[in-house]
Amino acid sequence: MTEEAELPEDEALAAEHALGGLNAMDRANAEIRMAQDFAFARLVVAWRYRLAPLAAMLKPVAPSDDLWTRIERALPANDNRALRLWRGAAIGGLGLAAASMAAVAVILLQGPLAPAAPPAMLSARLDTVQGQHLFVAAYDPQKQAVVISSLVPPGTDPGHVHQLWLIPADGKPRALGFVPVGASIRIALAPPAAGLTDAQATLAISVEVPGGSKKEGPTGPVVARGALSKI
Amino acid sequence: MPGDAGSFPVVLILKAAVSSATTSDPLAVLIPRIAGGDRSALRQLYQATSAKLFAVCLRILSNREESEDVLQEVYLTIWRRADRFEADRASVMTWLATIARNRAIDRLRARGPLAVAAQIDAMEIPDKALGAESILEIAQSVEALNTCLSQLDARTQGVIRTAFFEGVTYEALAQRLDTPLGTIKSWIRRGLLKLRGCLEP
Repeated sequence: MTEEAELPEDEALAAEHALGGLNAMDRANAEIRMAQDFAFARLVVAWRYRLAPLAAMLKPVAPSDDLWTRIERALPANDNRALRLWRGAAIGGLGLAAASMAAVAVILLQGPLAPAAPPAMLSARLDTVQGQHLFVAAYDPQKQAVVISSLVPPGTDPGHVHQLWLIPADGKPRALGFVPVGASIRIALAPPAAGLTDAQATLAISVEVPGGSKKEGPTGPVVARGALSKI
Repeated sequence: MPGDAGSFPVVLILKAAVSSATTSDPLAVLIPRIAGGDRSALRQLYQATSAKLFAVCLRILSNREESEDVLQEVYLTIWRRADRFEADRASVMTWLATIARNRAIDRLRARGPLAVAAQIDAMEIPDKALGAESILEIAQSVEALNTCLSQLDARTQGVIRTAFFEGVTYEALAQRLDTPLGTIKSWIRRGLLKLRGCLEP
């Protein structure tokens, strides 16, 4: 190990991100880069794993008694789980002995499997009319949720809020929620909005007074917009 | 027709067989069962790990309710992503702690810039005693990390530990220590470089 050496810039950023101290905007940028740059993502994960054992030093604290019940209730009930449960039973029943592998493989290969390929993720970059990127969003059709990161510097214009809109093919804006400045947020979509979210839809952000627009569409100016497209 | 979809669980089983044979991580056997949709396996994992993960979240968020929300998200993530676990890269506990910390910091950042002002107490070294449930392998990696951290100067150790345990921003650390951000970052970068060298000679 050389005393004078420095971490290469990429790895230094990966390590800083893994350690967790990046501010909201740098953090969002690092996450976006991880999604686009596999080598960088591997560096971050390697650093996360390197540092994570520290967590074992914290004294355990029991969460509320009812938390497990809450989690169990929230487990998705019908996303091929019945099928997977059957697989689980088959695996458990035969054990994991190497000798059983061939048999398990045959059973599994003959099973009523072949789940449909998951619908494609969609993404959108929401830019100003001048082309500045202000928000980055992804929509997961399986989970029916939008994850959106605000690249607006934290502390900007605390008197207003940024309201997210879905503008589907019919051109009518639907309010999805609010995006905190300089942070990432996951917004679960209710069924009507989820059904309208496809590669024909656009996401837009309007600047509104706290509480958001009182009308059906945006009241304040639309500052950024971007079309959803398949990743 | 048996295609790719059919071969997927076979890979899982093979992975499980390999990992349970070559590691001493008792939690590793639960992961393929969870990937296979076995709720009782998730429950066992929850019972074995939730108090540790809750401590991680609580330390970052200083709020039980929010920490429980995050913990719920963490176990739901594991339920959906158990097939992503890389037994050759990390122990189960390391993987879980990584997910929990990451989610808790996301939540902390989503509170906005005000979160910076939340905690002002001096840097504090957390509980050194390992939980009795800690298995040998984890204890060893903690031991190695601790040994390497303790070779850094006190100041660098302090900023790394505080950033790790509290999830505060480097800007907030700079404010607390009344030191320029660039200096804080260079302590951290140099410290982490030494740490890497020490962990992987």
